[in-house]
Amino acid sequence: MAGHGERGRPSKKHKISDHHRNNPVVVPDTDIQSDDDDNARGDSAAKKWDFTKLELKADHANRPLWACADGRIFLETFSPLYKQAYDFLIAIAEPVCRPESMHEYNLTPHSLYAAVSVGLETETIVAVLNKLSKTKLPKEMVDFIHASTANYGKVKLVLKKNRYFVESPFPEVLRTLLRDEIISQSRIVPPEGSQGGDAFTISKTMGEIEGRHDELLNEADLAAVVEEKETHSFEIDPSKVENVKQRCLPNALNFPMLEEYDFRNDTVNPDLNVELKPQAQPRPYQEKSLSKMFGNVAGRARSGIIVLPCGAGKSLVGVSAACRIRKSCLCLATNAVSVDQWAFQFKLWSTIRDDQICRFTSDNKERFRGNASVVVTTYNMVAFGGKRSEESEKIIEEIRNREWGLLLMDEVHVVPAHMFRKVISITKSHCKLGLTATLVREDERITDLNFLIGPKLYEANWLDLVKGGFIANVQCAEVWCPMTKEFFAEYLKKENSKKKQALYVMNPNKFRACEFLIKFHEQQRGDKIIVFADNLFALTAYALKLNKPMIYGSTSHQERTRILHQFKHSPNVNTVFLSKVGDNSIDIPEANVIIQISSHAGSRRQEAQRLGRILRAKGKLQDRMAGGKEEYNAFFYSLVSTDTQEMYYSTKRQQFLIDQGYSFKVITSLPPSDSGPELNYHSQEEQLGLLNQVLTAGDEAVGLEQLEVDVDDIALLKARRSVGSMSAMSGANGMVYMEYKYDPSLSLHPHNNTHPYIHILHKHAPLSQTSCGVHAHNILYYLTRCEISQQNPLE
Amino acid sequence: MPQVRILAKNFMDMVAALPATKLDKLYENPFICEAVLRSLPPLAKKYALQLLFIDSPISAKTMEGWVLADGISKHRVAIDRLLQLRVFLEEIDRKKESTYKLNPKFQGNIQKYLVYGGSLPRQPMPSNVTVRLPTSVDLETYALEQWEGFLLQLISSSQVEKLTSFSASMMKFFQRGLLSPRENEAPKLTENGFQFLLMDTNAQLWYIIREYISTAEGRGVEQMDLISFLLELSFHTMGEAYNLNTLTDIQRSVIKDLANLGLVKLQQGRKESWFIPTKLATNLSVSLSDSSARKQGFVVVETNFRMYSYSTSKLHCEILRLFSRIEYQLPNLIVGAITKESLYNAFENGITSDQIISFLQENAHPRVAERIPAVPENVTDQIRLWENDRNRVEMALAHVYEDFPSKEVFEATCDFARDMGGLLWEDTDKKRLVIRGEYHQDMKDFLRRQK
Repeated sequence: MAGHGERGRPSKKHKISDHHRNNPVVVPDTDIQSDDDDNARGDSAAKKWDFTKLELKADHANRPLWACADGRIFLETFSPLYKQAYDFLIAIAEPVCRPESMHEYNLTPHSLYAAVSVGLETETIVAVLNKLSKTKLPKEMVDFIHASTANYGKVKLVLKKNRYFVESPFPEVLRTLLRDEIISQSRIVPPEGSQGGDAFTISKTMGEIEGRHDELLNEADLAAVVEEKETHSFEIDPSKVENVKQRCLPNALNFPMLEEYDFRNDTVNPDLNVELKPQAQPRPYQEKSLSKMFGNVAGRARSGIIVLPCGAGKSLVGVSAACRIRKSCLCLATNAVSVDQWAFQFKLWSTIRDDQICRFTSDNKERFRGNASVVVTTYNMVAFGGKRSEESEKIIEEIRNREWGLLLMDEVHVVPAHMFRKVISITKSHCKLGLTATLVREDERITDLNFLIGPKLYEANWLDLVKGGFIANVQCAEVWCPMTKEFFAEYLKKENSKKKQALYVMNPNKFRACEFLIKFHEQQRGDKIIVFADNLFALTAYALKLNKPMIYGSTSHQERTRILHQFKHSPNVNTVFLSKVGDNSIDIPEANVIIQISSHAGSRRQEAQRLGRILRAKGKLQDRMAGGKEEYNAFFYSLVSTDTQEMYYSTKRQQFLIDQGYSFKVITSLPPSDSGPELNYHSQEEQLGLLNQVLTAGDEAVGLEQLEVDVDDIALLKARRSVGSMSAMSGANGMVYMEYKYDPSLSLHPHNNTHPYIHILHKHAPLSQTSCGVHAHNILYYLTRCEISQQNPLE
Repeated sequence: MPQVRILAKNFMDMVAALPATKLDKLYENPFICEAVLRSLPPLAKKYALQLLFIDSPISAKTMEGWVLADGISKHRVAIDRLLQLRVFLEEIDRKKESTYKLNPKFQGNIQKYLVYGGSLPRQPMPSNVTVRLPTSVDLETYALEQWEGFLLQLISSSQVEKLTSFSASMMKFFQRGLLSPRENEAPKLTENGFQFLLMDTNAQLWYIIREYISTAEGRGVEQMDLISFLLELSFHTMGEAYNLNTLTDIQRSVIKDLANLGLVKLQQGRKESWFIPTKLATNLSVSLSDSSARKQGFVVVETNFRMYSYSTSKLHCEILRLFSRIEYQLPNLIVGAITKESLYNAFENGITSDQIISFLQENAHPRVAERIPAVPENVTDQIRLWENDRNRVEMALAHVYEDFPSKEVFEATCDFARDMGGLLWEDTDKKRLVIRGEYHQDMKDFLRRQK
């Protein structure tokens, strides 16, 4: 599939560089790639960019990259300078795609903002880029870099001994800021007579060096960089920090402030005495991301985002950061399972004592002990606006009042922006570190992340990690399942528009392909398999038919833990069915096969997140490394019904992974043509039975899972809302999955309940609490779920 | 003349296909005889030399006796080829048995060649006259540039900066079979045309030369003269200068065309002008299968369907554009993407997935050429799948009938069509129906009767 890789970026970018030539003020928001590529695609199809007139340098063969006037950069990965060039480009540009031989990057105002904030200066950027480029740098690009970096990185907000200072090496910039009314009112003017009214405090610091890139410059260039610098600063009122920051954003004065935390000189907040255990050896790329965060000479910490693929060890980076800052740390995760996992990771990698860490979830409210500690909780717990229990209120109060050294935020790409704002306004932190695997959002909120948390500090290259054996080498496949005649006929009918999804997910050929794959991987390879289905109707139908446990939105925390425990440890439970609650954070390191039977329309992030579930490398390192014994050790199957909407979505969904260098092999022959009744739905009779089941189910029952009453998962729900067009395109307009809620007035007897699941349930239901085995267990999951939905989620 | 088809045959096949009288006339030229002898398969060469000094015919049976039983098929091939080229002449003797003897003209020339030694068609000019001759590298670059320029003009004249001096009608001749003209639009490449572009330079050159020869008479040039001149040319030494005044008028006009194609380079000194044959000219009579020198590949295809071509050639760019979307052109890199749309466009033009895939594989950049496969499997699979996708629907002719005067007529018509087995669809409310194309006449007759 694919081939739709490009989304009109060339044209878009070009507009921006034009814009810059006329107008030096950068408006970064316009540049962020819209995630919905549909609108941008197409118009660019006919366009091409002719840069043949660029002058090739005589020794171009030795240089690794081409730079185009519109900001696009091409990098040869087989160049001897690749490693240095990669480190440099990832600091200054946004990766577009990174397959094996040639990478593409885009220079954007945002990426340059990030570059500046990790200490690169305009002249260094231009000089290094020019060194690496095969051609003379296009003038447009040089101008663009100058225009974009003119304001960025000039002003820092530093919290020193609990006093906020606005710092800059350029006094004229500070003067500009002070001309703003709000900022000048926020200023704390030093007592009269010390230095005069308008003078700034001056201190001297060594210039920052971005070591790795400087080796590319010659000595003369270098000398300019290392020069000692004067820093000018003025103090501002701590209560007005937010206002000042606001005024500095690009939509106002356009001097966005870099936030740095001078933690070594913070004598006010108590230290947290933890360090990394000796066995916690960060890998090279983890080390590199940390070095971006703590790159300063002065031992300060920068706020920002680190992007590492799932399974690459984000938690070690987070724990290491906390251990370096050694102050109180608030760690935010997306759900309770992942809270447990974070707490576990802290104990695994650091010398933290049990009394120094506490978890705060709806089920688990541990009180703070000591004056410096690590608190792990969910975004929802902090941002929750409703009434809380007394106990929760106390804990939240403590979170509010404490001054956090580090705010560690997991999976930042899934959290809605408004929730971020809330969390960040509630918690007072010196430094924020966001972690994520995929900096793509189906909404356009990446911009918010940039200014709420900070710039992207580092982004690892997936393929390099695969080659290094740090993450699994996944064979991705798209399995084409032709619709059966009967299902397709129904699919095409207008009156079934709300059932389209159910029809293509329940396509008997897909079911058989899925069953075949499960059997193959369980029996032939002894693999552990996750089957993902967004469609709850399908999830239930598949899981029950195949006798496998399942987890979805309202499966309780305990239940999830139990199923996952079984999946991890029992040799009899090798397959688990997950709804989209399994997309994020649920850590299932054992799994190495994913079969996706239904998914959320064209969400590239979901695809990447799901793949991430099996990226944790298994087996011996030397086998996994490039040229090792095992070519592939993990498998990702996406089952699509041919000639349906799924095909279109599938192409879209894969785009992110394809840009990271993954390739999807199309398989058209599953299940094998000689397979017969050993797989379900072989006979036409069975197939028609299934069809009937789909058609008679209510429209609500066959729709998407809506995690309305979700406890603390911040799943795709919010994102989906912000791109309403997505559901419109999927034909899912008005399709709402009504979560089945236990009503005490109804017993669980079948005659009282017309819900389709119950029908299925009873077909299979020799129900007894005593009978064990997987089958009966299924039913139990189902029943417990019904009870759990009674509970108030937060209390 | 052989049919105009894209086949990688060589010069000699064309010679072999000439009528007897013309062929015999060709053998008056000793260089043709020598070229023909060189082109023969080994066994045929041996036979020709064996009979060289024998004047009486040898019976076919006797010759068969020369070979072992398992060599008989090679023997037949050799004899066939000799007969085709009229090196051997077949005669039926009084016992009604076949006998062979050498073509006397051929025999005479080769005998002379053996006895007196070979001579060059013409002597190169002394180097004190031709002061600055191009180096062999320069000459090769020149030849390829000329050739590419010509090809580019051939497939899309809008892309060329400097046009060759071929007349428009000449270009049309060359384009025949490669491009199909369209009204108000640039002509589009046919399947053959695409195949042509994918062939190696020698094969392409041969195709063009053949067209050039076959249309010679229209330009007032005798075909025989042209063939012998071209063959003669291949006996010149590459890189040497030959005086233009050693040529006939016709040859002088031909040499200008050959310069356009890059076969020779023309230079002018103070007094004299000369031509310098390039590799293209000296390779002309070489059997095409011998062209082992492979061009270096330049294309990198990535798993994400992006294609990076290390090339400065506009021609490459135009070839790639046939099946991909070109996005960036850099001084020595062409960046494009293979998309569903670009491929559908290619399929529409009769280009097949196999052609595209083999082009990508054969031109794989050395960086990826050793990789197996050189083109990612998911890309080649997808190209094939997209092609297959187009073959899932078959078109059949059908006719719509509407505006029926009354419900009765409509229903009667429906019944009639149904009885014939030709009714495909009906809409009673709007009184419309569709029938299979083959029943159209019957329906017309039926409806006429209804009036």
